[in-house]
Amino acid sequence: MVKPKIICVTGGKGGTGKTLVAVNLAIMFKNKGYKVLLIDGDVENPNTFLLLNAKLKNKTEVLYFLPKINEDKCNKCGLCAENCGTHALLYIKDSYPIPISTVCSGCKLCYKICPTNAIEPDLKVIGWTYTASALNIDLFLGELKPSEARSAVIVNKLMENLEEVIETEPEKYDIVILDTAPGAHCDVEELINGADLVIPVTEPTRFGKLDLLRIIELITLLKKEYKAIVNRSSLLGYKEKFLKELEENGVEVLGDIPLDEEIVSSYCQGIPLMEEKSKFDRDGAGYKSFTKIFENLIEWGEFSK
Amino acid sequence: MNRKKIAVISGKGGVGKTSLVASLASLAHKDHDVNLIVLDCDVDAPNLALILPAKSKEEVLTQDMYTTKKATFLEDKCTQCKQCYDEHFCEFKALNWDENNNIPIINYLACEGCGACKVLCPESAFEINPVKSGEIISYETSSELPLIYGKTKLGSTTSGLLVSEVKEHANHLKKYEDTNLILIDGPPGIGCPVIATVSGLDYVVAITEPTPSGIHDLTRALEMVTQFNIPFGIVINKADLKSASQKQLNSYIKKSSHEILGKINFDLSIPEAMSYAKPVVDYAPESDASQAINSIYTKLKHVLSKL
Repeated sequence: MVKPKIICVTGGKGGTGKTLVAVNLAIMFKNKGYKVLLIDGDVENPNTFLLLNAKLKNKTEVLYFLPKINEDKCNKCGLCAENCGTHALLYIKDSYPIPISTVCSGCKLCYKICPTNAIEPDLKVIGWTYTASALNIDLFLGELKPSEARSAVIVNKLMENLEEVIETEPEKYDIVILDTAPGAHCDVEELINGADLVIPVTEPTRFGKLDLLRIIELITLLKKEYKAIVNRSSLLGYKEKFLKELEENGVEVLGDIPLDEEIVSSYCQGIPLMEEKSKFDRDGAGYKSFTKIFENLIEWGEFSK
Repeated sequence: MNRKKIAVISGKGGVGKTSLVASLASLAHKDHDVNLIVLDCDVDAPNLALILPAKSKEEVLTQDMYTTKKATFLEDKCTQCKQCYDEHFCEFKALNWDENNNIPIINYLACEGCGACKVLCPESAFEINPVKSGEIISYETSSELPLIYGKTKLGSTTSGLLVSEVKEHANHLKKYEDTNLILIDGPPGIGCPVIATVSGLDYVVAITEPTPSGIHDLTRALEMVTQFNIPFGIVINKADLKSASQKQLNSYIKKSSHEILGKINFDLSIPEAMSYAKPVVDYAPESDASQAINSIYTKLKHVLSKL
């Protein structure tokens, strides 16, 4: 029994082309006959479905615990507030404790220790998960409800759903591609941690370099293998200098993608550049660079169908 | 003007938050009406310091922060009852069981430091301790502009708390008591660190670009800002991009009647300025981009004076 290979596309800096790369890698694997699952783990701003022009289905609520005080049972002892690690219960002697939802971590300690069982779970919707299918690629996508903060819970849910698929139908997918949020926070960390191979996407600017080196530090901390992609590599003619700087910092590079109007146009049309049925120029700079990246990836990754 | 706090956010990353903040900071700093402190709250990937570096390395202050707490297991107190694991003390899956040694094992990345294990363990075999979560760095630039930014320690799961600390830090600087504008470079996204950034602000500048993701993420960011009742204005970057999304953006703005602070057309002087590590308004003051940012600044100042 072979488990699917999991590739995480990330980047540190925002707007470097993570989603562009994740979607087109998924398409290229599909073109070669691999069964592909794409997971959009940028739950704050999921965009993969826009690039795939996919219709989201199976909207499922992600619920999160908040304490609710049952005043008939509460004896106003204050034990819950005293023990709450994030001070999410406000207690004034001889009155009912007041839950403060914005700081509650959802640890359920209050619920577990209340001597009179006066704390009840008040489940609140903090986001949703969806599934979709487009161009023979399956998609799992998470969405954080705007004004909610706990994005990590939704990412966690997506990864649980992945585990479930792998357990029940290990051969359903050959390749799983994870698309992350920008940054290096818990959501990104969880996705990197769940991957076999990591591909950070960067751009040849000072910001790009600084953020790339930082995300590589995190990838290394999590003991994962990585190779970087340099997007917009032809920007202002910095490519050679930038690649040299990466080499000096010991960064391995999988390939680069030059600026190409067809990439922008494919993105705005919702048709991935590398889709076999698309009408994009096979000799275009963007198209050729993706083909080369895919060849290098196949050489690196030992994938099986 | 009494003290105003504003931030530039975007939802989508890489649409020009930091470039805009650097230029607005430069303009505001030269403005005699304004006493400015600038903050970089993108604590996962702080970049503003690249464009607004310190006057001298000696004067950079770095303060370690301990905003994260983590559980520690005390093996000598453990009676191996396994209650902690069997009864799911931990809601964050940070408490696992080491079958070989028959003791609990803590996954530090997953641990939220909530203290549930400490309270629930009948033998008190867990402890909660603060751990280093990042740094707050502060200095003055060569033009004596005070800048403060945070930088998380990787793997410390603390971004939101560190953002709050950076903002708090700016409030308690005696030397800059007469500050009347705090300008914040925000993180991408709409989650925890962004909410921590916009909380308590007087105004938000949302920057976007006319692409499908740019618009999608802008609407989500504005939905979040609206829930917190913070007034906002929009800046459209790369406004002349040839994109089928132009129509969508125009009709969204028309329908919503949101305030537009200005538009910046695609201009190579922006990446060029960045490669010289300068705000574009200083590198190429006559460029179209600089003129657009100048008029955004004028409009922003006017809006802030009415708040």
